Amino acid sequence: MKKFLVFALLVVSFVVLAQPKLTIWCSEKQVDILQKLGEEFKAKYGVEVEVQYVNFQDIKSKFLTAAPEGQGADIIVGAHDWVGELAVNGLIEPIPNFADLKNFYETALNAFSYGGKLYGVPYAMEAIALIYNKDYVPEPPKTMDELIEVAKQIDEEFGGEVRGFITSAAEFYYIAPFIFGYGGYVFKQTEKGLDVNDIGLANEGAIKGVKLLKRMVDEGILDPSDNYQIMDSMFREGQAAMIINGPWAVKAYKDAGIDYGVSPIPDLEPGVPAKPFVGVQGFMVNAKSPNKLLAIEFLTSFIAKKETMYRIYLADPRLPARKDVLELVKDNPDVVGFTQSAANGIPMPNVPQMAAVWAAMNDALNLVVNGKATVEEALKNAVERIKSQIQ
Amino acid sequence: MKKLIKLLLWFLLALLNVTFFWAGVFLFQNEYYELSIVLFSLLFLIDFFIINPRGYPYRYVIPALVLLFVLVLYPIYFTFKVAFTNYGTGHFMSRQEAIERLLYDPNFSYVVDSTPVSYKVFVVYDGLSPTEDFLILFRVNGVIYLGEKPRPVVSRGQEVLLSQYNLVPVNGETVSLNGDNFRIVPWPADLSEINLVVRGDTTYKSFYSPDDEILRLNAPYFKSRIAQNYLVNAEYVLPDGKKLALRIAPDGEWRFMHVERLYRLVYKEVYDGGKMKIKTTVINNLTGREVVEREGAFYDVDENGNETFLVGFIDFVGWKNFLRIVKDPKVSGPFFRIFLWTFVWAVLSVVLSLAVGLPFALVLNNPRLKGRNLYRTLLIIPWAIPVFISALVWRNGLLNETYGVINKFLLPLLGLDPIKWFNDPFWARVGVLLVNVWLTFPYMMTISLGALQSIPPELYEVAAIDGAGRFRRFVYITFPLLMTIIAPLLVSSFAFSFNNFTIIYLITGGGPPIPNSTTPTGYTDILISYVYKLAFEGGQGQDFGFASAISILIFFLVGGISFVNFKLSGAFEEVSK
Repeated sequence: MKKFLVFALLVVSFVVLAQPKLTIWCSEKQVDILQKLGEEFKAKYGVEVEVQYVNFQDIKSKFLTAAPEGQGADIIVGAHDWVGELAVNGLIEPIPNFADLKNFYETALNAFSYGGKLYGVPYAMEAIALIYNKDYVPEPPKTMDELIEVAKQIDEEFGGEVRGFITSAAEFYYIAPFIFGYGGYVFKQTEKGLDVNDIGLANEGAIKGVKLLKRMVDEGILDPSDNYQIMDSMFREGQAAMIINGPWAVKAYKDAGIDYGVSPIPDLEPGVPAKPFVGVQGFMVNAKSPNKLLAIEFLTSFIAKKETMYRIYLADPRLPARKDVLELVKDNPDVVGFTQSAANGIPMPNVPQMAAVWAAMNDALNLVVNGKATVEEALKNAVERIKSQIQ
Repeated sequence: MKKLIKLLLWFLLALLNVTFFWAGVFLFQNEYYELSIVLFSLLFLIDFFIINPRGYPYRYVIPALVLLFVLVLYPIYFTFKVAFTNYGTGHFMSRQEAIERLLYDPNFSYVVDSTPVSYKVFVVYDGLSPTEDFLILFRVNGVIYLGEKPRPVVSRGQEVLLSQYNLVPVNGETVSLNGDNFRIVPWPADLSEINLVVRGDTTYKSFYSPDDEILRLNAPYFKSRIAQNYLVNAEYVLPDGKKLALRIAPDGEWRFMHVERLYRLVYKEVYDGGKMKIKTTVINNLTGREVVEREGAFYDVDENGNETFLVGFIDFVGWKNFLRIVKDPKVSGPFFRIFLWTFVWAVLSVVLSLAVGLPFALVLNNPRLKGRNLYRTLLIIPWAIPVFISALVWRNGLLNETYGVINKFLLPLLGLDPIKWFNDPFWARVGVLLVNVWLTFPYMMTISLGALQSIPPELYEVAAIDGAGRFRRFVYITFPLLMTIIAPLLVSSFAFSFNNFTIIYLITGGGPPIPNSTTPTGYTDILISYVYKLAFEGGQGQDFGFASAISILIFFLVGGISFVNFKLSGAFEEVSK
């Protein structure tokens, strides 16, 4: 027993004497820059910052397992659509107001807010846009009619060797710009946040949007089996003239030597802009971390600064969430294209109920493009399915 | 030498005892009661077996026993336990912890008066470097108050939930406190001019104040060592009961403000079936309303009756998850058709891969075949490649409807129309079966090969003398003898296919979707993939309670089917021989 007591005392004193340390989980691209920032933080605060590389897809699930036990990183770098689930589980800490807050885009801050509280410091936004190969399409089309026209010409000219237009036909994320552009919505935005009982995925606008997709399939521009891998690899190999993809993909196209351009998704009709989902990336603080004040300090007085945000942009070139940083990078044509596209966009809902939407809508689009159900039927059914699941 | 070894063994046993004991106590303290009990009973058994001569033969069973507990019994127990709770999104902590959050988490407090209170921190220096021994002087309404390091009031395990210190007004140059004399230097002076606080022979030097330009340079140390370690959950209580706590002010500085708790705990008497029970509830101090507790979560209610979700907890829900399987049309509706396909899928997977694997085994077993080892190695390759890789190759490279090798080259070569591998219900099922057969036939081939080699060659000689042909020899000798050996393996392989989530999820994701279904069902969904979709991709993200309930059901289904299979195939008799 005495031995045990001594041991227990040793453990306790170890805990007391242990220096605070901040752990960050982030994906590959941010590791280097965060390590450098961590060293600067250590020089000033005497606190070690340990940056751990975790696959982006695994950060949330790993955090969900570790955080309830009081473990896991003090700070995670992730997407805003995790916020609802993590906040409902009580695993992330609200961020108090800080001086630089006013320099961030409202969209980015809203995306990280849940139940009226801010749960993260955003650093980058992303939205899909039209990416075109300048060898086939010197000037990007301005409307969908033009796009269909150009795509048809290219399809005919190359006899199927080069596709005029490809997008992931049965994936809600890629078809959402059509649906939202005509007035569809996932959950109704109210003053108090999103109303998950009001689903606008089978309203007139949504039907019109999916009919546009159906028209492209019927006219042979899109193939029902078109998916992300096909679109991505064909564009990289110069076999596709126009695609709809996000900023994460352009580096590969540049490396492949494609002379590409980025422009907003063409207007659905003159004066009716397409509205893609906007995703926001940011930093969140573990609510059960013993170092959460320090973590908040690290975010608000280090990460949220203009210089830091610019350095993060240089390491991982995505649209900065800070207005003055976006000004700095305005001369990058890719950034301009994606910014214009994101400007029309709608933040992806960050409520946990979103989990039910993806599968239901993907299935509905799948049925539509394969001609197994009419647009109206498929969407009405998808909404019923979502409703029955989120109750 | 023998003595030495014995001594070493006893030492190891003592070490084991200490470790287990410590781990047991640690787990108990952290509220893992079940694991701790298991650990203690294991410790008891181990000691009993080793010390008591009668337990001697059992000591060789110990490792198996430990592994059985840790890897089999505990997970099963845990699954059963979770199946009766609502563990999932929104319900991640215990009720106790949820209440502690409401009561002590700084986020559930409100600032009564946001005018910051001036304060100055004094620390003891060790040579040139500051230590964590500190004092704080506050100035509230012109009076200076002295505060020491706050003392833990409420803690859970090693985590301090709330610490407090009752502030003492400083009326003269020296203050007497708990037998110590504190001298303020210089005195009388404004807070900004005070430099030292002397206690006995210890000197506290002025160190940090957000209002002092020079002292602000020490902010990092103050924040990272003193504030982070001692002030996060601390309250300094003024003589009139007002509480001062550290908050991050809108200007980014860390300041003390007058705060109050948003919730308080009350014990309520509830009459339940004529008996009086004490129930803990939480009251909102601002509105005076009781917080609603419903379905494993606390909700704040405002005057209009609108509810705001506060925090959820893991609650015992009884048979609810199991009843949902029966009653919820979302689950029970497609259950039968999915079950049927799961059954067909499992049977066909076994039969077809045996049908492919067995002929290969027969050929490879023929001693006249040259280069048998080479063929065998090549045929085992599908088995050796990780499933994740081969599944993706099949999905994107071979089966893809437009660009896959099969549709683009193979079928046109044969003059056939392309097949909709992912969008035609029939062909999607054929597709997943095809992939699964490709992945599992090497296993069937290997076990058949082993079994074939155990058939005595005399039987064939006798049969040949009796004039039996090759086919009859196979039907009457090879196949029956083979089956007695591999039947148990086939049953376990059936059970494996029944739950082969990976293939279905990676190849088709359960698709193609069934039109007009109100559930996330597809034509190739098997029970386990359907449950995964229901529990982790529908609703609010994660529903461990429901997933556990269904996995228990699947456990009994697979167990039952396997039992019948074993009985029918006579495998038990074979094993018990």
